[in-house]
Amino acid sequence: MTTLAPRVVDPHLLADLQRLGAPDVSACVSCGNCTAICPLADNDGTFPRRLVRYGVVGLREELLSSKELWTCYHCAKCSESCPQQADPGAYMAAARRYAVASYDPTGVARVLALSPVASLLTLLVLAAGFASILSVGHGPASHARLDLFGFVPDATIHWTGIAVMVIVFLVALLGLGSMVRAVARREGVHGRELVTGRRGWAHGLRAAYDAALVESLGQRRYREDCSEGAPEPWYRRRWIAHALTMWGFLGLLAATILDYALALLGVRATGTPEPVWYPVRLLGTLAGIAMLIGVSTLILNRARRVTTSVTHSEPGDWLLLSLLWLVGASGLGTEIALYVGGGPAWGYGVFVAHVTLALELLILVPFMKFAHVLYRPLALFFHSLARAAAVR
Amino acid sequence: MTQKRRIGVFICHCGGNISDYVDVAAVREAVSDMGEVAFAETSMFACSDGTQQDMIRRIEEENLDGLVVASCSPKLHLTTFRGVSRRAGLNPFQYTQVNIREQCSWAHTDDRVGATQKATGLVRGAVARTAQSSALVPLPVETTPASLVVGGGVTGLRAAIGLADLGLDVHLVERAEQLGGQVASLGATFPDQREGRAMIDELLSELDARAHIAVHTESTITAKSGSFGNYDVTLQGPNGQSVTTRVGSIVVATGAASYVPEPGEFGFGLAGVVTLEDFTRGIESHAGRLHFRGQPVRTVVYVYCVGSRQENGNEYCSKYCCSAAVHASVEAADLDPAVRQYHLYRDIRTYGRHELSYEASRRRGSVYLKYADDDPPVVEMGEGGRLRVLTTDRLTESTPLQIDADVVVLVTGLVPQQNAELTSLLHLPLGSDGFYSEIHPKLRPVETVVDGVLIAGTCQAPKTISESVASGLAAVTQSGAMLMRGVAELDPQVAVVDHDACTWCGACAAVCPYEAISHQVISARDVAVIDPTVCKGCGGCVSYCEAGAIDLLGNTDAQVRALIENLVEVRA
Repeated sequence: MTTLAPRVVDPHLLADLQRLGAPDVSACVSCGNCTAICPLADNDGTFPRRLVRYGVVGLREELLSSKELWTCYHCAKCSESCPQQADPGAYMAAARRYAVASYDPTGVARVLALSPVASLLTLLVLAAGFASILSVGHGPASHARLDLFGFVPDATIHWTGIAVMVIVFLVALLGLGSMVRAVARREGVHGRELVTGRRGWAHGLRAAYDAALVESLGQRRYREDCSEGAPEPWYRRRWIAHALTMWGFLGLLAATILDYALALLGVRATGTPEPVWYPVRLLGTLAGIAMLIGVSTLILNRARRVTTSVTHSEPGDWLLLSLLWLVGASGLGTEIALYVGGGPAWGYGVFVAHVTLALELLILVPFMKFAHVLYRPLALFFHSLARAAAVR
Repeated sequence: MTQKRRIGVFICHCGGNISDYVDVAAVREAVSDMGEVAFAETSMFACSDGTQQDMIRRIEEENLDGLVVASCSPKLHLTTFRGVSRRAGLNPFQYTQVNIREQCSWAHTDDRVGATQKATGLVRGAVARTAQSSALVPLPVETTPASLVVGGGVTGLRAAIGLADLGLDVHLVERAEQLGGQVASLGATFPDQREGRAMIDELLSELDARAHIAVHTESTITAKSGSFGNYDVTLQGPNGQSVTTRVGSIVVATGAASYVPEPGEFGFGLAGVVTLEDFTRGIESHAGRLHFRGQPVRTVVYVYCVGSRQENGNEYCSKYCCSAAVHASVEAADLDPAVRQYHLYRDIRTYGRHELSYEASRRRGSVYLKYADDDPPVVEMGEGGRLRVLTTDRLTESTPLQIDADVVVLVTGLVPQQNAELTSLLHLPLGSDGFYSEIHPKLRPVETVVDGVLIAGTCQAPKTISESVASGLAAVTQSGAMLMRGVAELDPQVAVVDHDACTWCGACAAVCPYEAISHQVISARDVAVIDPTVCKGCGGCVSYCEAGAIDLLGNTDAQVRALIENLVEVRA
């Protein structure tokens, strides 16, 4: 007998999850085949069965405070072995969608997840907005050379970018706040303990290292445990495509920030013509190509439904992939325009499109599938802490 | 007995089961010198086909008038060797089986001498007993081609129709004003969704189409006499008028009653806490939303095993209720797919085709939560007039749950009907659970220890409608088997009275559980008379008779005395 206060059952949880694309898991009999086959269920004999049960019974708080939601890479082995065809893998994906919608205090994420029409409208409105901000007070489009920052003043781009970053940061902070509070309470982790004494720091830093470097950047378990068998060529494996996308995106972000930082430091003004081998430019170019390859692979895999995990796609899946691809492609287009010489008129158009799409992508981070870049590392942090505690 | 008896004795090795611990050759030697023994032999397996053929040959050749086989328990092979006797032209009641395996060799594996001595005593006793035996023949009685069906529910109705179709006259007696019983008030049933009323109406029209079914509603049985094949039954109607009729068999199909929860049992008495029966009768759809008694319902909680499988109450499983509740949840979900239904159960026993219903229920979103026997759900009134159910989900590491519900359905089972008068009138055997008991649950599932009185439907145990009707038809078949030949053979091993010795003290009649003993004046003396068609040969009266006037055929005083004397002789 447990003395915990009873949890009030939310009878509508499963219907909510299903509106966000969850398969019908009513048929689940909690047999545990999913747990038996899950490569991640190593120190938890109830994952992912327990999370499916939360949805069936209606335990909303339990679901939202589960760090395990974010440790899953959706290899879909569970879905393949489920005797009831309840598709636990797709359920987990929908539960993450639900979590993104629930952590977001603005309600925007929920609207985007629920309605493809609203998503499209949002995209169009944002595009129009950013495009008009960029075009207000634009300069001449030189045809001698592609003078992008003569066309759109770099101050406009920078200040718009900074405004977007601030908005994203604030919304992300609120979302992360609700997620961290819920998970920490559930896990019995107290922030103070992590910054008290040598052992506290050691545990915290160790977990942060595991979460950020080994798992998030290094994708260790994605590679080792959750990569499906290799019937396809190695370069189409999910973890490789994902790594290329992630590293490419981070490279592009780094190149952009470095470019701006060098301008701030007065080393070199933004938009100064430079050869293709210039380090920051080279970083941006290679990162962009990596991301394009990664995203294109993911798109092809999804379109061809090459694995169980991509047999079913939600609009949100396509939204993120399309935005990333368009940002990458328009960036590459801009670069080509820079080096073909003569400042072609299309170059200015592609550039404006690139900046608009990049701003859109950034501002939508906390509201769509992209939000996993916020939640997954933190969940992995708690996961690492729990593992360490279990070992102790 | 002037002429000396000729008895053959076979002593079985049973492979080594007997001969490993009993010196069977020594036993054979020890009985061979008895005067009545024509021959004594040992055999490796007395029950083997070859030995049986051998026995038949020897019985015929030696012109035996008695047979003793010393082998295993009569429970195993009494009928086998009685069959051997019959085939050889020897009266089966002049055969005696001696158990020297279970009651001798297996019990005394450490004492070969003692076991041999005991086996010798047992076999000599059996020979002496057989020497006193006489040929008995089954008692033929003419039977009446008519049946009485007690109870006009679904089982009784179907049985009455079946009996009529066999060509038997049928009397159907029902206590209530209307025929139909409990099924008449049921809603849609699995698997064809037919309403209970529709099924009863179909049976009633079938009933009407048969000329020789007499229906007696608002009637009870007030008297029964006679014996198997010829019972005289008196029925009393609504206006007190009585009619007596003769029937060959009686089919009891008096059904069961629904368990009514105690006040406060799982919140029973609170507004919205109802039994399954009430729930299925009260649900309907208004504008696509589920309503119960006119009120909208969003969440339903079912609590299973109410009044069944209780440690200090009804210990049995009522069998039908899981299936009925699961089916009700499918019905409710079909009326309103958005309704949320939580089933708090102990074990789901939707056996057979009902498993499909269980699957359908889960597919429609019903949630099943198993509660522990020592942690039953709590039902109480919460804020805002909604019911609050507290339970534990064992599949999420025993998370304590609070489910707010509009209706809590108590899934109640069945309890025996209160039919004390009928029970004593028909001498129906009651089990410890209060339901009537059959002779054997598998092999004689509708017969009772009272010949010609059969039980069917839920008076026997909780059953589904299909099972009830099936047992009703089994009772029809059994009635047919007993009555269609017009003659029945009764076991001749019954008690008989020596009218010269009897002084009619009445002790035997008082102790007879079958009312087989009456008294009449014979040769100017009041003496006891035992009806051989009613007597079951239990022997109760024999031991009560101070005058020693009663004897039990097949187990006479002389036989038993001879057995004991020979047994004791060897021990001494």
